[in-house]
Formats: sequence, structure tokens, C-alpha cells
Amino acid sequence: MRPDAYAITIILLAATVESGTILLFPIIGEIFTERSGILNLGIEGMMIIGALVGFVTAFITGQIYWAFFMGMLAGGLASLIHAFISITLRGNQVVSGLSLTIFGLGVTNFYGQEFVNLQLAHTVPQVIIPGLSQIPFFGPILFKQDYMVYLSYILVIITWFILFKTKVGIQLRAVGQNAQAADAMGVNVYKIRYFWTFFGGLMAGAGGAYLTLNCAPFWLDGITAGRGWVAIALVIFARWNPPYALIGAYLFGAINALQFQLQSMGTTIPSALLSMQPYFLTFILIIVATLLVKAKHIGVPKELGIPYAREEK
Amino acid sequence: MLKFEKRENIPLHLRILIPLISILLGVLIGGIAVMFSQVNPLTVYKAIFIGAFGSTYVFSETIVVAIPLLLISVGLILVFKMNYWNIGAYGQYIMGAIFSTYFALNSAETMSRSILLMMMCIAGMVGGALWALIPAALKAYWKVNEVITTLLLNYIALYILKFLMYGPWRNPRSFGFPLTKIFELNAQLPKLISHTRIHLGLIFGIVAAIIIWIIIKKTKFGYEIRVIGENEIAARYAGINIAKNIILAMVISGGLAGLAGMAQISGIIHMLQIEINPDYGYTAIIVAWLSGLNSLTAMIVSFFLGGLFAGASQIQMTMKVPIGIVGLIESSILFFLLGGAILTNYKLYYKGRKII
Amino acid sequence: MDAIVLQAKNISKHFPGVLANDHINFDLRKGEIHTLLGENGAGKTTLMNILDGIYYPDEGEIYLNGKRVDIRSPFEATKNGIGMIHQHFMLVDTLSVLENVVLGLESQGFYLDKKNISEKIAKISKKYNLDINPYAKIWQLSVGEQQRVEIIKTLFRGAKVLIMDEPTAVLTPQETDALFKILRRMIKEDKSIIFISHKLDEVMKISDRITVLRKGKLVGTVDKKEIKQKELAKMMVGREVLFRLDRNPMNRKGEILKIEDLETHNDKGIKILKGINFSIHGGEIFGLAGVSGNGQKELAEVIVGLRRAIAGKVYIKGEEVTNLCPKAITKEGTNYIPPDRLKVGLVPNLNTVENAILRRYDREPISRGIFLNYEEAAKYTRELIKQFNIMVPRENVPVKFLSGGNLQKLILAREIREEPALLIAVHPSRGLDVGATEFIRKKLLEERDQGVAILLISEDLEELLMISDRIGVIYEGEIEGIVDIDSADINEIGLMMAGVQKNPLDK
Repeated sequence: MRPDAYAITIILLAATVESGTILLFPIIGEIFTERSGILNLGIEGMMIIGALVGFVTAFITGQIYWAFFMGMLAGGLASLIHAFISITLRGNQVVSGLSLTIFGLGVTNFYGQEFVNLQLAHTVPQVIIPGLSQIPFFGPILFKQDYMVYLSYILVIITWFILFKTKVGIQLRAVGQNAQAADAMGVNVYKIRYFWTFFGGLMAGAGGAYLTLNCAPFWLDGITAGRGWVAIALVIFARWNPPYALIGAYLFGAINALQFQLQSMGTTIPSALLSMQPYFLTFILIIVATLLVKAKHIGVPKELGIPYAREEK
Repeated sequence: MLKFEKRENIPLHLRILIPLISILLGVLIGGIAVMFSQVNPLTVYKAIFIGAFGSTYVFSETIVVAIPLLLISVGLILVFKMNYWNIGAYGQYIMGAIFSTYFALNSAETMSRSILLMMMCIAGMVGGALWALIPAALKAYWKVNEVITTLLLNYIALYILKFLMYGPWRNPRSFGFPLTKIFELNAQLPKLISHTRIHLGLIFGIVAAIIIWIIIKKTKFGYEIRVIGENEIAARYAGINIAKNIILAMVISGGLAGLAGMAQISGIIHMLQIEINPDYGYTAIIVAWLSGLNSLTAMIVSFFLGGLFAGASQIQMTMKVPIGIVGLIESSILFFLLGGAILTNYKLYYKGRKII
Repeated sequence: MDAIVLQAKNISKHFPGVLANDHINFDLRKGEIHTLLGENGAGKTTLMNILDGIYYPDEGEIYLNGKRVDIRSPFEATKNGIGMIHQHFMLVDTLSVLENVVLGLESQGFYLDKKNISEKIAKISKKYNLDINPYAKIWQLSVGEQQRVEIIKTLFRGAKVLIMDEPTAVLTPQETDALFKILRRMIKEDKSIIFISHKLDEVMKISDRITVLRKGKLVGTVDKKEIKQKELAKMMVGREVLFRLDRNPMNRKGEILKIEDLETHNDKGIKILKGINFSIHGGEIFGLAGVSGNGQKELAEVIVGLRRAIAGKVYIKGEEVTNLCPKAITKEGTNYIPPDRLKVGLVPNLNTVENAILRRYDREPISRGIFLNYEEAAKYTRELIKQFNIMVPRENVPVKFLSGGNLQKLILAREIREEPALLIAVHPSRGLDVGATEFIRKKLLEERDQGVAILLISEDLEELLMISDRIGVIYEGEIEGIVDIDSADINEIGLMMAGVQKNPLDK
């Protein structure tokens, strides 16, 4: 490859990883939430709450990692509203999740007003991993990122491990597939659903925080621009399996990075049509994923969206 | 500790109390949020009220805001009754606006006002209906989740709009701003009440609410929709064609959202631009749900939520209270409504004693 | 061998409207296979659910090895060494065998040492001849293999007493033999087994002792060696038949329904109808007897178009209707009273009128163009209510608040008013009180007098004897025999229901 084409490819792929990481956190979070049987459509709301809280914390304290943590926590707390309504009160999960999104957008608009267009002095610092970053081609793409990205790598591996190789994982999968059987075997269905919904919130907050701390890094109303919805779609694409979440997230990240690059290079393609591509891609992906998920044993957690109540016959 | 026990019947007083208390609690939460912002909530609420209903003019502005809310929400009521989650009303609204703009821009000289407006209405409905048809067919035949498809189409529609606004439809005299040229008088919906901005769209809305009410309550189609929404198995067993009903209902819902888009740009904005009110996609969902999926009630609810929005828009400028307060209050109301719904079917016991 | 391992003393359990267990005494000796025998509704499952901690008895005590125990949950039952294998397996189909085995196990650590667990499972497998691949996913297994997983689950948790609820209901004869081998192996290893069944020949094969329940009461406990099948059948169904309803002589008309070599699968993909042949004429009630699970439900579903037949034919009024859609079959003059009122037959959140018109909303006079004429609908509904004496508090109350009896009357009314040529009623009086039950039976007789062909599927043998003209017995997907009501011998029928074939197939 010609040197400058090579360089551009590396840059694009590195940007893909960055951009994809914003999505990777919430996708994994929602995978686990849905695996427990809870449908949380409030990801967009939790993400943007995490984005604002992360931004504000960084703006005020200058501590990036602390800000990331606070953003995560904020997302987690927000998810508890949905958890309480869906699990204990057995409310309509679709509308509850939507309300959470509206809540998040409203709350962040309301409290974010004074921070609009402000910029962070410091953003997420780049952390180059010695040795690994020297690997030709993949090194600069994967290992010249930041701690959050590295965290996401570890997250994919750990969550895959937990899901398929540990007691926690089988309990989770049981609850989402056959809550009655899990209950009969002594598994606490409610506790598990609360826990993993909270986890989903933490992850959504993490994705939002990463957006404002690294990729933006300013605050604008509605800065998540629908990424929460893309994440939900990509959960289906990932077939509720963490490694595939990586593929989906990076696919979106790639299109995103590509169209962004094209726009900044000054292309004749109208910018709106370029910006549309990631969403269009996701649209196609979810159709494809649905058609592929016809086999019932690689599929939707059977209990998804159905409240559980141990009734006496 | 907390236990729920099935009821034998739904007590009437709860059916009214729960929504009312939800509204009160939601408003309370909004007030608390405002307090954290060091503003007096009572002042804020008073200002919102005055900004919504305080004078004849703002009262009329509230109606103006309520018109698209009403049109969209009654369409949503139809599909929600069937348990089909159309979150794409915003996209359908945009496509309706786009389709009708085509006529507004190209046929204003050649058609008389009434014909042009009629064409624009039809185009608006067609645009919205087509945009709704896509996810409807995907769900009906391939079982693709409609929440995500309708939602993604929102963003795609928005980008199509942006493309047109920065590209072929941009007014050459708008200094680069993404706007079309202003619609000729021919393409503007006539006002209903002078000295206000209330336009013919209000009639559309009221008529639509009544028609939807009639459809749901009095037609076979409405009956089939309700059966599908309440018990899909029984519906299949009764021989109801579920795919056909999904598509028909969505076409109507999308058509109404598209009409709302047309009405807004023709009756109020008088041009096509990018900001044609993004909240209307979600707020309409809230109106539909708060109305208890009853299109006649939706007339009242859209009026009041319109008032909330209009009043909040006013104080956004005067009191620096951001418009997000609307979403905050609305979603809080919804949370309480959703959580309280269990009480209609279950009694609440705490530590062995019955509470509700 | 004689030590008593488990004893249930004076157990009583009430449910709304029914006394499921009435002062029952039951004991289990060490190393024995003790069968609990009875018809549906006899109280067997209730008693076992009490032992498993799912229900708590209103009266009575349970003793384990002489000590009094209080079992308040399945968890506690497991702690006490009691393991229950339900009729409907508690398995997660996307997980593997070993994952299901260790699910919920307290002693299981965070990391799933799959090798270790599969070795433990292999040890149990070898000891009891429970061949299974620990890494296989449940959905890949046959029903027999899934059952073995359930058994392994209990043994893995150290169960000394095993309760098996109708284990052979879902097995092929070969799988049943394999199961019996396993059970015999287990009692050699000092396990004790409670076996619930209604299949007499199996009961005779496998049991040491047999306890018979009937309508919640204990009929008796006998030693297998000291009793014969015929006597058991008598104990099971009882000698007295309650009052007979006055029936007009049968006025048989032309053939309405004809079933030829019909075969179909159940929801789990297993062949549940293995070649059904019979026909019903207008003006007669054909009662299909049989313990539930032998294919009755599926037979009804195939006839009305809710289930695909994989072989064979269904004819209504001479026309072949096999595998047509429900609406088309309804048009042929068939109506259906489903066993699951609130799931299939009605829309629980809609009101009485809206449910009543489910069959005729698209016909005049209720249909008027695209509109529904609610006045006509209400008029029609009121007629139904009057004719069938349905108790409805207010017309616009969602039907889910109506009592079971009234719901059933509503469905019956709706279907009968369509004036079908063929009426299929499945468990029509299940769960209803005496008054509603009598009403329904009377109505069915009325229809029969009007010339309707009626297929009555019921678990209640009394009911069948009361109003049928002929009774066919279904067992394991085949018709064991068909008898005329006048020459029917209840004990003979009981034997057929339990799989002991007396008469060759009677067309």
C-alpha cells in the first residue's frame, strides 16, 4: 500500500475503535440486561445522563478517570427507576424504557444548559502500551488508545467468560430463558434482574461519558444523537453474545469514522447523506440479524419483556 | 414484606385516582428538580401557567402547539391499541412535510389555493404513510422489531431532510441557511381565527380524533385491532389477519403524522426547515399513553401538554428555565402512571396488612 | 427393607371450591417403589407438591425417618433429601446438561469447573445407567434423555426419596423400559421412589406397593402381589355412577365427522397421535375418554385447524378439511369449545359483548359495512345471557372478572349459536361448580337432540357416561376401543384408559 494510504487507513481504523467504544459499553450492558429478561429502551437516556455527569465532573474537577466513574454511576442510578417499575411493579417495559429516555434527554437539557459549548481543558489521555503497540498494523490501531478502550477490551473478554464459564452466567441465562425453572431451582430471579439492569445502566453511562470525555469533548444538548438506539439494535445483531458486540460496535464505528473523514476531506457527497450511513447500516443490520435469528436456540431470551410473578396455581 | 395479590375487579375510583396522582407527583418531581437549580418552583409553575393560558394570545399559541400533538397521538393510539410500538412518528412527520413541500415549491403558481392545499394534504399523508409502511411490512412479514426500525427511520428521515435543506431545496437567497423559500400564500393553510396563528390544522386534528375514535369503537377494523392487542392467540384463532391489520393501522398512523408535518409547515412555519420541532415525536407518545389510549381524551391531554410545552417555551427566554423541564415532568408523570398501573390489577400488602 | 422412610399423616389441603386432599395417610418404605394411582383430579399431584414444599398442608404432618419435618419450599425439600421430577421439566433449554444440573446449587463455586462437574455426573450416570452427554444442550436431547437429566439433578443433590410425576407419559415403550431399569437400579442403592401414574400395566410391572386415591380421598394401599389389575381399576374409578341425566333416545343422522389414520406431533415434536380412526354422526354425542396427555387435546386442535396433521385425513360432511385454516373449518359448520378458556377462547380484557361476537362480527346483522352494529351485538349478547343463564355483573366489565362457570357458558353459548353441524368440546366442565356443570351437560344434550354431532373430550368419566351415546377410549395416541353406552362397563373402560386393551378396535 502507498504510505499515505496506509497512514490514512491506520488513522481511520484507530478512529473506528474510538468511535466504536462509545457503543461497545452500552451494547454489552444491554446484552446482559436483556439476557436477564428485562428490556431497557432507556439506553439513550442513560447514555446522555452519563455523558453530562461525566462532562461536568471533568469540567469541575479536571479528573478524567473520576469523571468517567461518575458518569457510569449516574447511568446506573438512572437505570434503577426502570428496574423498579419493570421488576417489582411489573410495569410495561417498553413505555418505561421510553420514559427513561425522555427523562434523560429532559434532565440533561435542563441541567446542561450552563455547560453548552464549553470545552474540556483535558480530555482522555492517550496511553500507549509498550511492546504491543509496535505490532505492525494492529499495534497502532489497538494499542495506542486510552484506558477506557483497554477497559472495553477486557470487558468483552471478562463478560464472555462470566456468561459462559461461571455460575453467575448460568444463573443469568436461566433467568432470561425460563424464569420459572430458575426460580424452582432456588435462583433469586428478582435480585438477578435488578443487578444486571443496573449493570446495563453503568455501561450505558460509561459509553456516554466516554463520548463527552474523549470524542466530543464538549457538551451539546442531545450529543448522543441516537447512539443509544443503535446500541439496542446492535444487541440483536450481536445475538446477545459479547464478542459479536465488538463486531457490531466497530462496524458502526467504521462507517462513522469513514463518513466523518470524508466530510472533513471535503467530498462532493452531501454531508447529510454521509451522516445517514451509520443509521442506515444499522437498519439493514437489524433486518439481517432478525432473519438470521430464526433458529430458536440462538435467539432472543425467551423471557424478554415478560414480568415474572411466582403465582400459586 | 411487599406483596401483591390479584384483585377481583377494578375499582372505579382507582382508575381515575391513579392517573391524577401520577400527574401531581410528576409535577412535584419537576418542582424538586427546579429547586435544585435555585429557582422557586412555584414561580416557575405560575409562569408556565401564565405562559400557556394567561392571555388570549398565549392560549391560542397553546392550541397551535397542540395541533400536531393531537394529530400524531391519535394515530399512535390506533397502533398502540394493537401493541405495535410506532416510535417513528417523528420520521413520518418529516416525510409528510417533505412530500407536501414538493407541491408547495413547485405548484404554487399553477394550482389554485384549495387544490394546492388538498394536494399538499394528500402528499403529506402519503409521505408519512409510506415511511410507516416500511417498518410495518418488516414486522408483519419478517417479525423485525418495530421499536428499532421505526426509530432508526427517524434519524434517516432527518438526514434526508438535512440533505434537501442544504442541497437542492435550499433557498438561494437564504444566506446559506438551510431553509426553503417561503411558501406562497397559496400553499399556506388558512387561519381559523384572526390575530392568532391557529390554522385549519386544528380541524384536521379534531376530525382525526373523532375518526380514530369511531374506527376503534365502532368498526370491525377497530374491533380486530383490539382483539389482536389483547390476545393475539385468540385473534389468530378467530381468523383475524394480523399482518393486514398491522399494515393498515400503520399506514393510517403514518399518514396522520405526515399530515401533522404538512400542517405545521404549511400553517405555521410557512417553509421547510430543519427544526420542525423534534419533541413532537416523543411527546405525542406521552399524550397517547396519558390519554389512556382514548382519542377523545387525547384532545384534552394534547391541549394541556401543549400548554406545558408552550408555557415552558415562554419561560425559557424569560426565566432561563431550559425546555428540558417539559421532558422531565412528562417522563416523571409517565413513571408514576406505569408504576401505579399494577394497583389496578393487584392489591398491595405491606408486612401482612392491606394498603391499597 | 421395612423401615419407613417417609410418612404423610392425615394430610388435608383446600383450594377455593375443592378439597384436593382429604385426610390422606401415606407412607414410603426404604428401597421400595410405591405407586400413587388415580384419575385426573384425584389429588395425587397435590399430595406430591406438598411433599416437595410447593404447597403447605392445611392439616397433617410429614415425617422423615421418624422425625417431624416442616417443608416450606422446594429448597427445603431438597435439603431433606426429597427430589421431585415434575411432569413438565424444569430445564433451561439453551443451557447444557451440566449447567442445568448445577443451577442454583449452593455448593457450586464461582468458576464452573466443567471437567470436575462432568466427572461427578459421569459417576452418577454409570452407577444408575443414566447415559447422558453432560455437554449436550437440553434442546438437543430427546424427552427420555431430558428426563434423565432431571433424575441426575436430584441425585446430584443427594436425594434419597425421589418423586416422579407421570414419568412415562412422555416416553416411548423402549424409553419406558430403560427408565424402569434405572429405577430398579436405584432402589438397589437404597433410594426410595414414589411413582405417580395412571397406566395400570406399567404400575403392575414396576410397583412394590400401590396407593389409590379417588376424588381427594384415600381408597386404599395394597401390595402389588396381592392384587389384580381389574381390582385396581375398580378402586381407581369407583363403582357408583352418579345420577343419570334423562336422555332421549338417540336419533342418529348422517355421518358428519370422519377421522382417518390421523397422525400429528405435540408441541415437543413427538408423535402424539399414531393413527386415529373413528366417525361421528349427527344427533350423537361421541365421548372420548382417556387420561389427559394421551393426545386428546391435539386431536381436537387438528380437527379445528389449529394444528397440522402429518398424516391421515379429516372429513366434515364428506368434504376433506385436513389442515385447512381455522376460519375455513368454522365455515364448514364446526365450532370449538377449547380447554383453555382465557388463553384461546376469550379475550380477557374485553367485555362480554366483545367476546360474544368473536365468531360473527363480520356477518350481518352485527356487521354493517365497515361498522359494527353494537346495538345488534348487545342484543345478541343479551339473548345469549338469557338463554344460557350467564351471570354478568355489568355488560362492560372485562370478562376476566367473570367466574369460570360463566366464562364457559359464554363460550358455549357463542359456539352453539352458530348452529354448527359439528361441535367439539374439550374439558367443558373442568373447574366448574355443580350448577354450571349440569347446565352445560344439559345444553350439550339439547344440541344432540337437534341433530348436531358432538365430540366430547373429557377427563371426567362420569360425565362421559352420563351423556355420551358412544364412548371411545384414547390411549397413547390410538383408539383403544369404542363402546355403546348401553353396553358400557365402567371397569372395562377404566382398563382401556389405563392401556389394557380388551376389545379389538371397533369401528
